[in-house]
Amino acid sequence: MTDYSIWVLEYAAVEQFPFSVMMYGPMHQGTRKLPYGYVLLKGRGETILIDTGYDHVAYGRTLAEAYGVSNYHGPREVLAECGVAPEDVTSVFVTHAHFDHMGAIDHFPNAKFFLQKRELDQWVWALTLGPEFRFLVGGGDPADIVKAVEAAKEGRMTLIEGDAEDVLPGIDVSLAADTHTYGSMYVTVRNDGSPNSADKWIFAGDLIYTYDNLTGLDPEDPQIVPIGLAVGSQHNLMFASEAMLKSVGGEARRVIPVHEDRLKDTFPSRLTDRGLQVVEIALADGETSRVS
Amino acid sequence: MDREGITAEQEIVGYLDAAGPVHDDLRRILTQVSGFSMMLFTSDKRRLLPADLIHDAARDQAQTAERIRALRVPERAGHHHHHLTLAADAVAQSCAAAIACGKPGATDGDRDALVAALKSAVGQLRILATLLPGFEPVAFGQACCALHARAATG
Repeated sequence: MTDYSIWVLEYAAVEQFPFSVMMYGPMHQGTRKLPYGYVLLKGRGETILIDTGYDHVAYGRTLAEAYGVSNYHGPREVLAECGVAPEDVTSVFVTHAHFDHMGAIDHFPNAKFFLQKRELDQWVWALTLGPEFRFLVGGGDPADIVKAVEAAKEGRMTLIEGDAEDVLPGIDVSLAADTHTYGSMYVTVRNDGSPNSADKWIFAGDLIYTYDNLTGLDPEDPQIVPIGLAVGSQHNLMFASEAMLKSVGGEARRVIPVHEDRLKDTFPSRLTDRGLQVVEIALADGETSRVS
Repeated sequence: MDREGITAEQEIVGYLDAAGPVHDDLRRILTQVSGFSMMLFTSDKRRLLPADLIHDAARDQAQTAERIRALRVPERAGHHHHHLTLAADAVAQSCAAAIACGKPGATDGDRDALVAALKSAVGQLRILATLLPGFEPVAFGQACCALHARAATG
């Protein structure tokens, strides 16, 4: 039995992104496409997102002109590819507080949100350190926190402290402290609902950017190679990667990096009329495929 | 460009240099107040909240407002300075509202006022981003994806 249909939905992309950023170490190795995406889950009476994308109204033009981010489409258009409207979304897991992951909270008026308490606490602490430490809070937008405050006032924001099982049926979260951000978390979907599931999927947020972070570049000599950006440490990123891999029995394809362009080749996928990829990770019993 | 033009240009550059750090501080204080507010709205142990933080933020805001008042404002930057002042006012209101919400007996009205003040401050920061370069709401230069995307496209 498969509980949740799962899709990774691209909503924008950087066509030429330096590979050296996606993996710590290998410099001058060209570029790859870096999709921006979020994850949609449907099943067990819930419509769930993992991350929300960013607020194009606020800074889409800046991102497009200065940073090469192209082909942005908002949640209404993107989710429609799977027959979902933003108002249908019941829950959102926010893997971390960067603008491209939690910048569109206000687009989901009926959703409840889950974020690690540590992410917020340490972010606020880092802001007390002064401008010379601004690297530690790069990628954050005060407007996103204000949107989260509004959701909290309405009782729609839950701050999770550490690991938690069955936050929603068959869905666990794990804190990866002091990694990419202070309170990054990854989301595990046990898609058969079993405590010892043989059908687990892990959604890694930005703990990895590519499968290569889990396997290295040499198939004959696999290794974990962390991403290039951490406010915590590469050490912690590596151990978080190991924990994710171990949780899925070493099957790297089950640890999903939303910024990985090769998802479209790893799973059934479809290019939409808008030039965005829809990647189908799993299909719940009775659900219609959105890629065939 | 004639001498008058050069002087006007220098005045604007001088304003940008001086106003940039002030804007960054406002953004930082707003984020702190927002973070504190979120703790207020999600915590069932208010006595454990870092109350000093919000008072420190209010003090920083007052100093920042002073720096805004002290800026030399060329005519062409007048509109920007007006909104910078409004942003500082909104952040001040946010600080006051957050302090009020942290007190026993805070009402729904207090909480509504806090959210309204925070949103007003965000709105002013958004306006500032549209008026002069260098006042973006996110420090994209420090962000993971965008930082390196610039290297790729630039």
